[in-house]
Amino acid sequence: MGHPLSSPEHARHALLYMWRIRKFEEAVEDLFGRGMMHGTMHLSIGQEASPTGMCMAMTLQDQITSTHRGHGHCIAKGADLTRMIAELLGKKIGYCGGRGGSMHIADVETGNLGANGVVGGGIPIAAGAALASKMMKRGTVAVSFFGDGAMNEGAFHEAANLAAIWQLPMILFCENNKYGMSSSTEKAFAIDNLADRGKGYGIPGVNVDGNDVVAVYEAAQAAVDRAKAGDGPTLIIAETYRWKGHSRSDKNLYRTKEEIEVWRTKDPIPKFIARVIEEGILTQEQCDEIQNEAIEAIKAAVNEAVKAESAEPSGLLDAVFKAVSA
Amino acid sequence: MSFKYPVVMPKMSMTMETGELINFHVAVGDQVKSGDVLFEVMTDKIDMEVEAPADGVIESLVANPGDVVEIGKPVLIMLTETEVMAFDFGAEDEPVAAVEVITAPAPAITTPVAPVAPVAPVILNETVKAVPKARVEAANRGIDLRTVRATGPDRTITMADVNGAQLDPAIAKRQAANKALIAKGIEMTRGIAQASFTRSVNANFDHATFMAAWAKVLRNRPDLAAHEHIGVALIIESKYGSALPVFRDPDQLKIADLAALVASTTDAAKNGKVPVAMLSGATTTVFDLTTYSMSSATPFLFPNQVTSVTIGYESATTKIVSLTIDLNFCDFYDGALLLDALVASL
Amino acid sequence: MSDRMLTMAEAVREAMSIAFDERPEVFLLGEDVGIYGGAFGVSGDMYHRYGSERVLDTPIAELGIVGAAVGAALSGMRPIVEIQFSDFTAQAMDQIANQAAKIHFMLGGALHVPMVLRTPQGSGTGAAAQHSQNLEPWFASVPGLKVVVPSNPADAKGLLLSAIDDPNPAIFLEHKLLYKIPGRDPVPEGATRIPLGVSKVVREGKDLTIVATGIMVNKSWEVAEKLAADGITITLIDPRTISPLDMGPVFESVEKTGRLMVVQEGPAQAGFINEVIAQLAGSSSFGSLIAPIKRLAGMNIPIPYAPQLEKAAVPQFDDIEAAAREIVKNWR
Repeated sequence: MGHPLSSPEHARHALLYMWRIRKFEEAVEDLFGRGMMHGTMHLSIGQEASPTGMCMAMTLQDQITSTHRGHGHCIAKGADLTRMIAELLGKKIGYCGGRGGSMHIADVETGNLGANGVVGGGIPIAAGAALASKMMKRGTVAVSFFGDGAMNEGAFHEAANLAAIWQLPMILFCENNKYGMSSSTEKAFAIDNLADRGKGYGIPGVNVDGNDVVAVYEAAQAAVDRAKAGDGPTLIIAETYRWKGHSRSDKNLYRTKEEIEVWRTKDPIPKFIARVIEEGILTQEQCDEIQNEAIEAIKAAVNEAVKAESAEPSGLLDAVFKAVSA
Repeated sequence: MSFKYPVVMPKMSMTMETGELINFHVAVGDQVKSGDVLFEVMTDKIDMEVEAPADGVIESLVANPGDVVEIGKPVLIMLTETEVMAFDFGAEDEPVAAVEVITAPAPAITTPVAPVAPVAPVILNETVKAVPKARVEAANRGIDLRTVRATGPDRTITMADVNGAQLDPAIAKRQAANKALIAKGIEMTRGIAQASFTRSVNANFDHATFMAAWAKVLRNRPDLAAHEHIGVALIIESKYGSALPVFRDPDQLKIADLAALVASTTDAAKNGKVPVAMLSGATTTVFDLTTYSMSSATPFLFPNQVTSVTIGYESATTKIVSLTIDLNFCDFYDGALLLDALVASL
Repeated sequence: MSDRMLTMAEAVREAMSIAFDERPEVFLLGEDVGIYGGAFGVSGDMYHRYGSERVLDTPIAELGIVGAAVGAALSGMRPIVEIQFSDFTAQAMDQIANQAAKIHFMLGGALHVPMVLRTPQGSGTGAAAQHSQNLEPWFASVPGLKVVVPSNPADAKGLLLSAIDDPNPAIFLEHKLLYKIPGRDPVPEGATRIPLGVSKVVREGKDLTIVATGIMVNKSWEVAEKLAADGITITLIDPRTISPLDMGPVFESVEKTGRLMVVQEGPAQAGFINEVIAQLAGSSSFGSLIAPIKRLAGMNIPIPYAPQLEKAAVPQFDDIEAAAREIVKNWR
């Protein structure tokens, strides 16, 4: 895409996608609260700038792996909103035909190799995608989105090392929202600066304000350039915060109201709006119109998805394996 | 612009269906900011605070502290400046299916049938252990496993035990009687001049269809029967030997009713019980050899019958129909026409 | 003696080489598979013939390696990942069972994982508890994996070619004791595939049906040879693919012989071979049994170290012979 401040179109894209993520998550919260969605939901309200900034440095062919808190990644990479809601509602037209749910949404056309219900599950997979890109000389990068909690999984360690020794075109993008479910980074890490871990693998570790879409984009683009030049992976630690609990049954016993209040004032969306208005790239009216556009898009998607046909159990057995062609 | 937004009882865990409103943290007219706590709720597992989704003012309180509210139903109404993502599909929601109490179907009660003739065979085992095939074989041959000596490990009855077992004398007697009856009947007709014809047909008929078709053909030939009705005897094998229940005027029954009658009579015959009314009045006999995977058998006529038909196995999709006629009543050409008519109507 | 009497290691190497030549997207990765030639010599000289671009030596990182294989498979490659001992698949279980096995189903068919995981299994080399397991049930119980257990070099070659062709993740379990010896039959030249999901009737008889997996197929064959001299003939069935399992020949055979014995190396409790028993017991062929179903399997213990203890832990020739004679003699 390009730098969010480089033109009104780019600024529009950044703001529109952050609003799309925000409104999507709010809609999911509402629908879930009404009992229309099965299971549980992991919302990323407050974290919109990170996936938006990262994906603006990527092309459609570049690949991502995502997490259980992955709606934002999927939307930022270009997923169809109707098919996403349809999946959460268990409909046939959902991305997984109702068989995967919130944590397993993938979109081949936008290079999305799938959200993952296992913490750290997507990191070695992204390394493998980067390996394939290098072997096939495709010139694409693979970005693995994960949280601070995943950095203590063996999968992170093994994948980071493989990416480093083979100089894979990969970006390890950590959304550090300070909590892996209820364990804070202070308690889960013996180091203060998570980016220092890059040194352990011999790769650059970069800190960035995860709530500043411009800063995220700049760090992301630098990492993409490095990867495409064949210089190997980068570890990006984007500091951000989630407003809502880990999942819908989270009582927030592990953090304080005050902490949540402070972070709400660092909302990435008003921050970016203030900046584009100040720099004369967009007007307040334009920004309001962009917000409405996002709201209308979500409403349309929900209304369409709700009317769609529900997934049926017939055909489940045939869905396990891909058919062997004769 | 102002939006009116009902804050509902939210679903807060995978299994939650209702929540109890504990108390309000706000009153009507209060200004609130996005994230402020509006009220507390409790479910069986957790108690949670419900936050304002946007900045606004409390317009009215709908539920009362202590109320148990269904998820999705309003607890209070607030007015907001910004539009809140809210989707109330109301009646379009699929109602939560009531949990159906499924009463288990009454178990089929099978009381063991006491042996009819309390004769000779000594009960050797009160409880029986037998290999699966031995059970099948014993049932087919009318052997009571309790009378069989078990020589297998752990006092289990083996195939060898069943094969060498004494048949229940009562059953053996009936079997002998049946054999004698049939043998005698065929001896009586051996001297009659007979001819047989054979045709191949598509194998898509059952006993009922076949008997009805044959009866219909015979309906046009009153000269071929001594009775006024048409009686089709169907040979059915049971543990007592061959049974020959007679189906009267099968072409005049509704095919579904005939099929049901054939099924129930077949079951009864296999257990040695054919209704007395069906034991006489045969004017022709049908023998289905396909149950033994045979294609053909020696043609024969039963006493006082001038036709008989066998159905034999030819292939997965075709069968062989063979007609035997008494040449005193039917000449060759006639016989061929009869078979033709039967095959055409199948 | 034909020079096509290849060992299983040679047969597997031949299959991999054919696949490498047929498709540029096939590659091998694993610990010590490159320069070293593989811990059991299976990859051999492939590193020299195909180079480090296609034969990748990896650090000791099973979870990372298998995960990278999954990611590469999702992106258009066809990786063969070798895990040095099947016991170490435990390290990689998330990527095997939670990722590879489930991706096609969970994602509604949008993506698939054409990956083969090859690994040596089984006891008899004195490698003790953590290097000797037979883990067939671990994989067979996960929907979404195809699980192949070749009992001889000729089958290994044809089955591996099919597994590499298959668009789904396959677990290929090779027995350590079979690597260095030829089978009973020569390995065919060329690239003939043996389809997955098809059981093989190795020999026919009328007195007893034996269903066995892996190395137990060969032991059972030797027992059948010996008993034939005494007029006892055995039908021996090798499923070859244990998931999906082809039970057709088993039903047919049991209806003829009336006696069924199942033999596996792994511990009896919750072992794979119980699946054969369960399916037979619930089928219409059950009524043909003239004897109880006999199961021979490993003891419910970790594999011990000392050779006499190691042998005692799994069924041997004598155990199979004694059981076969007993069942035929006592159940007529």
